[in-house]
Amino acid sequence: MTRWGMVIDLGKCVGCMTCTVACECENFLPYGISWAKVADFEDGKYPHVKRTFLPTLCMHCEEAPCLKVCPTEATSRREDGIIITDYEKCIGCRLCIVACPYDSRSHVEKLELPAPLSLMKKDVRSRYQLLKDQTASKCTFCAHRIDKAKETGKMPGKDPEVTPICVNTCVGNARYFGDLDDPESEVSKLSKSDRAFVLYEEAKTRPSVYYLKRR
Amino acid sequence: MELIPTYCYQCYNGPDPILVKVVDGFAVGVEPNYALASKHHSGGRVCSNAYGLIEKLYNPHRVKTPLLRTNPNKGRSEDPGWKEIGWDEALDILADRFREVKEKGGVDENGYPRIALTLGAAGTPEGHFGLLPTFLSTMFRWVGPIDLTIGTGQGVKCYHSEHVYGEFWHRAFMVVADLPKTKYLMSFGHNDVGSDGVTAWRLAQAKGEGLKIVKVEPHLSASAAFADKAIFIKPKTDAVFLFSMIHVILHENNWREVCDLEFLKKMTNSPYLIGPNGYYMRDVETRKPLIWDPIDNKAKRYDDPSITDYALEGKYRVDGVEVGPNGKVWEHEAAECKPSFQLLIEHVRKYAPEYAEKVCDIPEGTIREVTGEFLKNACIGMTVEVDGERLPYRPVAVELGKTVNNGPGGYETCWARTVLLSLVGALEVPGGAIGSGSRLNPPYEMRWMSVEPNPDGFMLQHFNPTGKEGWPPKVMFRGPFTALCPIMGSRGWASGIAPFTLAWMFMDDPPENWPNPPPPDIWIIYRANPLRTQWDPDLMERVVKKCPFITHITYIIDETSWYADLILPDHTDLEGYQLTSIFSKHWYSLWEHYGYILKQPVVKPVYNTKDMTDIIVELMDRLGLLVEFNSRVNRGSGTGIPLSGGNYDFRLKEDEKHCVEEIWDRICKAATAMLSNGEETYGLDWFKKNSAYLKPYPKPEKYLYHVFKRRGLRFEVPYQESVKKIGAELKNRLHERGVNWWDKQLEEYQALPHAKDFSKLWDEYYLKVGVNPEDFDMWLIASRSPNLAWTGNVSNRRMLNAAARALDFGGIVISSKAAEERGIKHGDTVIVESPFGKRESKVIVREGQRPDVALLIGQLGQWIAPYAKDIPVPNVSDFIKLDLDILDAGGSSCDLTRVRIHKP
Repeated sequence: MTRWGMVIDLGKCVGCMTCTVACECENFLPYGISWAKVADFEDGKYPHVKRTFLPTLCMHCEEAPCLKVCPTEATSRREDGIIITDYEKCIGCRLCIVACPYDSRSHVEKLELPAPLSLMKKDVRSRYQLLKDQTASKCTFCAHRIDKAKETGKMPGKDPEVTPICVNTCVGNARYFGDLDDPESEVSKLSKSDRAFVLYEEAKTRPSVYYLKRR
Repeated sequence: MELIPTYCYQCYNGPDPILVKVVDGFAVGVEPNYALASKHHSGGRVCSNAYGLIEKLYNPHRVKTPLLRTNPNKGRSEDPGWKEIGWDEALDILADRFREVKEKGGVDENGYPRIALTLGAAGTPEGHFGLLPTFLSTMFRWVGPIDLTIGTGQGVKCYHSEHVYGEFWHRAFMVVADLPKTKYLMSFGHNDVGSDGVTAWRLAQAKGEGLKIVKVEPHLSASAAFADKAIFIKPKTDAVFLFSMIHVILHENNWREVCDLEFLKKMTNSPYLIGPNGYYMRDVETRKPLIWDPIDNKAKRYDDPSITDYALEGKYRVDGVEVGPNGKVWEHEAAECKPSFQLLIEHVRKYAPEYAEKVCDIPEGTIREVTGEFLKNACIGMTVEVDGERLPYRPVAVELGKTVNNGPGGYETCWARTVLLSLVGALEVPGGAIGSGSRLNPPYEMRWMSVEPNPDGFMLQHFNPTGKEGWPPKVMFRGPFTALCPIMGSRGWASGIAPFTLAWMFMDDPPENWPNPPPPDIWIIYRANPLRTQWDPDLMERVVKKCPFITHITYIIDETSWYADLILPDHTDLEGYQLTSIFSKHWYSLWEHYGYILKQPVVKPVYNTKDMTDIIVELMDRLGLLVEFNSRVNRGSGTGIPLSGGNYDFRLKEDEKHCVEEIWDRICKAATAMLSNGEETYGLDWFKKNSAYLKPYPKPEKYLYHVFKRRGLRFEVPYQESVKKIGAELKNRLHERGVNWWDKQLEEYQALPHAKDFSKLWDEYYLKVGVNPEDFDMWLIASRSPNLAWTGNVSNRRMLNAAARALDFGGIVISSKAAEERGIKHGDTVIVESPFGKRESKVIVREGQRPDVALLIGQLGQWIAPYAKDIPVPNVSDFIKLDLDILDAGGSSCDLTRVRIHKP
């Protein structure tokens, strides 16, 4: 089986927010909604302070709390491990938002469409606009790009056309993407390195996103 | 879906190749141009600002057609009363104005050009202004010079001393670390992530390979997250820190063991003997500088082939001559001389870490520690092979940021950095500090080609005249760089880094014994907002209101537009054509290839806007200058690409008006034929598909050491004889004319500069205007956001949203200690106040900042520009009043002043 996953090297994230903006464009996200956020925080007291950037996104957990609480089955897991949301079924109850320990979901109250979506005719727009009012949105690992792998014969994580945009565009080259179930894949090896960790391990969600500590 | 190749050029790191995703006739996204990844200086990556281009294209606040002012009164509260007009009418109006100037004469009775042009920051307009340079050369022939020195914040606010002296010492308009080869990088306030866009890729790769970074700055910038050590230095004391490092090397180590003696003796002026008057002791006959050969125990000409060794220390009795300012000659017999290195040793004796601790507020042990690490990582003696050439490998570098390398103290800091690097031979070698490109010394395509020898064994320099012949210059510029800034020269971008501060100050209030500079009859501003990016907004407004006719070429209405008479909206970045060279840009030293890249429209123009080249052709036609213009295009004037050569001919018919596509098609063909020596010819259609035409770059040449070695040249450090001499000459000229107001700046022209706490200048200035500096107990500084493209994106909603994710954006940032002392909490509204400005701001409280420092990210405080005007943050310029007392010899100052912060 394939389980798509990501590894993010915190020692190489430069905090430029390019992933955030690239994801917003790629997924036609409305203003105010970001799926690839970068937390920016400090530890310590002056003058012994450290500034850290922590990129976050949906962790596509194997034990996804959001999936368990969804009353309408709008949230589901694909065979390749990607957690997706059917916005036609989502009723905006926000249970998934509460359940997610990673703050990876965003409630869309009222869509404020950015250009060029706002300039498109409705029938054209409907081909690109993923979200609806009163839904809980989240990252898809750019499933629409990954899904082109079969038809093109390309490999997610290696060929940019079928790799999540946040990986392709990462200025620090901090993100790695691939099949966690393939022991030979780069992400698989990195996820087992001494520097690897997951966020909130105690939540036992078994995320598909790993982090590498700074050296 | 289509992926259309073009480039992003919104900061000085461009042009970066990108692919724009187009669906159903709409540009919807951006991807790196993967095909060029291996050739691009940063792995083909793009930074966040490339994505902002989509938002810019469809920005609902765009100027949608030319606008004409109907309200003759100008002021903040005066609505311009914009009237929409067509392009024909707009261009007729501008052409009529040009004709009026032609009738009066292009320069006034004092020699000031009647037409002025202001360009936006960091050369980025170069990537978008089409054939504007050809237009300027045509206009020069027709009406005379155009004044480019009424600047925005660019130039004087940029890496000013680094530009001027970096070019002087090693053709380095910018000095960068040779990443990823560098292993130890000291960064004094250089905000790589905020300023250097996609080149942060290089930093990240180096970090992955074990690079150690030491950040020396008053706050933890975004770049500091990457650092292994953060040192919170007091603003404007960086020079003392660096001087202290030199002291530690020369006085606390055995410098004969830890320095790169080979480099010092053969690649610098360290062994040159200095005479009693502070000038090189020269051979009487040849006038060549002398060195002391300690084996033969006698003085010899620096290039004497019989030299067995060079003395770096001691004092010697020597016969010879000194040649001072204006050719003054001192003849000596057995005069006491010292090698310049000996003078350096003596000069830095007082800068012990204990002294620096008091000035910089950094523990002396920290300075010693980092100096030790710097020496340890310098790898003296090691070499590395670069394309078959064996070169020294010195993986240590020092980068300087804004406020550090501009304004008072800039020269001293840049000098100390260059001397520090030269002590270990890390100047222009692999792993060390190299110039990213040359902008003041042509040919800009290949900076090493600008290297020509002078008789003293250094690079030939092209200073502005300071002798009685040739001074003052016949053409005066409002930012008088040719008259007051000899080291800048007058080539290339010299006018772009002119003392713009003086242009504004003197148009407002002319100084004594100086020709009165009037505002220009026609002022054209392209992609710039000087009303918001220059200091002293009240002065700016007074001057701008006096300008009789302002044309603003812009995509939104901002503070500068508010005072304009005519608004011309040119195409945005994704709508126009331009072929741009890669190898004359800031970062070309980091590319592995050189050549040309095309900007092309990815969609049809969204509004009634025009390509800049089209605007220019229309103006040329209206002025009857088409033949002259086309002839200049054919000769490559302004583009560097002649349309005919030995084996190609793509010239335009000179008596016809040509469309944009045809012009660029011919330029594309000529460029490829020129680069391939006629073997390949590709037109516009080829570039539209393939984006760029590139050739491999001769790698060893990017290290100037290699070029100097081959040509037998030396770097002109540590001793600054030329600087001292030219300063003395300028002083003579100014005093002859009764100009004494530049005396403080003339003190900068020192052979061995002195470091001090340069922040004291601001204290002295406050006292001069009758204010106790202690009443303003915080230093206000500014830093860049990585997402606002050097202020270009402040009206870009998506990019502002991204910027707002940083912990230090959206308010005035103070430390928790400072907040506690003032009873201020995070999120409070506070009053920020200097003697010259008072503004409200939201406050951000953090830990990673000196308690005596307040920080503003970006240049905000807009009151017209869309989106930006809604952000409750002032602009550092709001608190600064321009004054000669806080300007350096290049007319530069910095984003620094004393403020107090309190609850309303």
